[in-house]
Amino acid sequence: MELTSSLPWKMEKQLQQLFGNVSLSLLYKSSIHRNGFKQMFDKCCNQGSTITMFYNSKFILGAFLFRSYPEEFNGISEPNSSLFFLFERGKTAEMTSKYLITALQITDGNLTFYCSKDKILSVESLKNNCSLHQILLDGLRSYTYSFRFSECEVFRVEGTKNKGDYISKITQAIKYKSNLLAELRDYKTYDNMVSEIRILLLGPVGSGKSSFFNSVKSVFQGHVTRQAAVGSDITSITEQYRVYSIRDGKDGKSLPFLLCDSMGLDDKEGAGLCVDDIPHVLKGNISDRYQFTSHKPITSNHPAFIASPSLKDKIHCVAYVLDTNSVDTLSSKMVSIFKQIRREALSCGIALVVLLTNLNNYSDVLQGDFLNMSELMISQNQRIVNKVHELLSIPIFNIFMVENYASELELDPLKDILILSALRQMLRAADDALEDLPLEEID
Amino acid sequence: MAVTTRLTWIQEKKLQTEFEGKKLILLYKATVHQFSYENMLKKCQDQGPTVTVIYSGNHILGAYLQELYREKRKTSNFLFIFQGTKMPKYKIAVHDINKLFYWSSEMNINLDKKVMTVDSQIAKVLGLSQNSISFQECEVFRCEDILNERTLQGVTEYREDLLSFVKTYKFIKPYSDLVNQIRILLVGPIGAGKSSFVNSVKSVFRGHVTHQVLVGSNTHGTSEMYRTYSIKDGKNGNTLPFILCDSVGLGEEEEGLCIDDVVPILKGHVPDRYQLHSKQPITPSHANYIHNPLLKDRIHCVAFVLDATSVEYLCHEVVTKIKRIRREVIKCGVVYVALLTNVDRLDLITKDDFMDIYRCMPVKLKLEAVHKKLGFALRDILAVSNYTSEWELDVVKDYLILSVLKQMLWAANDFLEDLPL
Ligand SMILES: Nc1nc2c(ncn2[C@@H]2O[C@H](COP(=O)(O)OP(=O)(O)OP(=O)(O)O)[C@@H](O)[C@H]2O)c(=O)[nH]1
Ligand SMILES: Nc1nc2c(ncn2[C@@H]2O[C@H](COP(=O)(O)OP(=O)(O)OP(=O)(O)O)[C@@H](O)[C@H]2O)c(=O)[nH]1
Ligand SMILES: [Mg+2]
Ligand SMILES: [Mg+2]
Repeated sequence: MELTSSLPWKMEKQLQQLFGNVSLSLLYKSSIHRNGFKQMFDKCCNQGSTITMFYNSKFILGAFLFRSYPEEFNGISEPNSSLFFLFERGKTAEMTSKYLITALQITDGNLTFYCSKDKILSVESLKNNCSLHQILLDGLRSYTYSFRFSECEVFRVEGTKNKGDYISKITQAIKYKSNLLAELRDYKTYDNMVSEIRILLLGPVGSGKSSFFNSVKSVFQGHVTRQAAVGSDITSITEQYRVYSIRDGKDGKSLPFLLCDSMGLDDKEGAGLCVDDIPHVLKGNISDRYQFTSHKPITSNHPAFIASPSLKDKIHCVAYVLDTNSVDTLSSKMVSIFKQIRREALSCGIALVVLLTNLNNYSDVLQGDFLNMSELMISQNQRIVNKVHELLSIPIFNIFMVENYASELELDPLKDILILSALRQMLRAADDALEDLPLEEID
Repeated sequence: MAVTTRLTWIQEKKLQTEFEGKKLILLYKATVHQFSYENMLKKCQDQGPTVTVIYSGNHILGAYLQELYREKRKTSNFLFIFQGTKMPKYKIAVHDINKLFYWSSEMNINLDKKVMTVDSQIAKVLGLSQNSISFQECEVFRCEDILNERTLQGVTEYREDLLSFVKTYKFIKPYSDLVNQIRILLVGPIGAGKSSFVNSVKSVFRGHVTHQVLVGSNTHGTSEMYRTYSIKDGKNGNTLPFILCDSVGLGEEEEGLCIDDVVPILKGHVPDRYQLHSKQPITPSHANYIHNPLLKDRIHCVAFVLDATSVEYLCHEVVTKIKRIRREVIKCGVVYVALLTNVDRLDLITKDDFMDIYRCMPVKLKLEAVHKKLGFALRDILAVSNYTSEWELDVVKDYLILSVLKQMLWAANDFLEDLPL
């Protein structure tokens, strides 16, 4: 006979995703290994992070422990991060959870999770009974103070991010993301000067401009989207000027910003975005779907040329998009184009920020409070950020970092909050610029 | 120290496939749980079939014990040793982990002394010069069926969810009134599996494997016509929200699909059953040329179909053709994905990999190869295993095929959303 778990596969997948692509290995199963909790202890001590599960016909209760089981039988483990969660059978999509710092004690007859002095969860081996403390009941939105379980299993969790508070942060991140989403949905520009902020994405070929638009749209839609073509080729994949409006997946309303995607800038002469088109783009002279020509800027008699754009047509924020890995090899031509853009932008009262894509170590920003995420991100990528700051003379507070949805089909709350935060900062920068506009420019 | 195995993924795969398609779950690792017989036994007793691996300077070898918990049946137990890419096996008599580590004279692993001794017969078979080998690490794994009832049940549930997602998918307004079925164009090299994908999709909804579309291994291409297939749910059921458009394969030089036909196909000028000519694109004077195609006649999503086993060897000409077609697709504002077929034929792939296809190593390597060679973004490359010679459906294959369709429906929706108002 083989040992197989009773954990429904769908739930296993859900847990794996929540804990960040971990895998679960079954170590102990009460109906096979029996013998009180001694066998459980023997099988599970010294195995690293674990999940202990209790099953009955109505629901499944689980306890994730970041730290290992106690070192000694009857002993008590060091308090550490743990996450309790509850699945109701038949409603797999819905899981409630509660993060706590707990210590575990195992004796022959009892398994007890302590949170300071409180017995958060106590399990009796003889009666197969679980009792939940009020704190846990509230956190899990459960009504059952105690229940009999038919099976108990322990899994080792492999591949947990090495920071103990990952799980607490990820649960916080999910909340933080929904706050950010709400904030962006309800965003209003300074003094309601325009109904939609136009953000222009400019940068070298393949730096991730179109991917950034797709990423933002994906976050709002709740699944990976592909509206803008992305890919790599010797010349820019994007050849048209595109003004993208994004609809919120929740109510289908358009969001208060437009992302303007452009052709990539090229080091080669006569390739990529024509630099002389940039001032026209900034001023709002170029309409959606204009087909760029590398060696020739738009002329005022072109059908796509908007002769007298108003404030709502012009760009309010320029994001210079760079691949983090290419900062060290940024050509002098790129830098000089950028300086030109900067002059142009400043003279038109347009905000200017830098967006660094391809941030490999993005999950490290979880260490701190999300409120000072930017500081953490900067300190972890100090060298690159300083380099960008020095090369382009952009203040550090206007350098943002993201990891686009480039390789994964599943959404990740951590990527989401970076993407949404970058977007929010762009809107804030645009607001400052709008507020600063001389009166005669406002129509 | 983390409880993770020292086996490379290739070695682990090798073991998995050698022993009846089992998954390995590490229970005991000597350097973490100490070189102690008692500790080993505590962790590994009553765990069913196990694999024990010892690592010595020059050798990685071990034993598979098919211990049958509370069952009395004759078991088959093996000794194995890694030799380069090979892994020969030898039947052994020892059948219980306790004996393996305690007193078997045939082969015995002494954890305290970190020495393994074998009888001279086995030493000879293994090509060892002495009867004892000292080792630095010892790991014991529990074996679990790769596709057990639990995982199959899980995949079945996912399959049901996906089926109902696909059947009831609604495109965004106002286009949902104009387009009932989105058209997915399959393009790609000769023999990439385009027609097989049509058969696969049909099969999923038919309930058994169908072979309506002719597939083959003709190096000059099997499909000769442009064909559109509207797919029904069941034999006489409702039509599903998509039409698959199968094209002629891309070949070298002037063979296969004519590049100049791509734009007319994308725009909806080319009729079903149009006989494609490799040297001569369609013209408006053709009898069945569709002069004023409506939005519903256009292609809404393109899938670049590629054979996973041969992407590295695609010739320069075909690569250039694919890139040119992609440019045209982008110009027409059509959304695209790449579809990697034949993942079942990759080396070292097992059925359980299908359930987490984008994370398994053989597929990951192929995704990288496609990304490098053709410049598709990684997350735009989808993987599938077509139905070919089997008669009955397989939930795991269905699951992959339906997951791909879901991405294609979303992509088509992105196309509609991108239309100028
Ligand atoms: N890992 C990773 N890859 C990225 C990221 N952003 C973009 N990519 C990849 O880089 C490639 C180019 O991305 P695009 O979004 O097409 O870049 P672009 O700036 O729009 O390029 P052009 O339109 O050609 O100028 C694609 O293969 C993307 O998948 C990122 O943040 N992380
Ligand atoms: N094992 C396996 N074989 C496949 C798969 N897809 C296609 N095949 C086989 O590959 C061969 C070619 O498949 P087709 O579907 O005819 O390829 P095609 O792209 O339509 O080829 P043309 O019409 O010639 O352009 C057939 O023998 C199929 O059985 C797959 O996913 N797995
Ligand atoms: Mg682009
Ligand atoms: Mg064919």
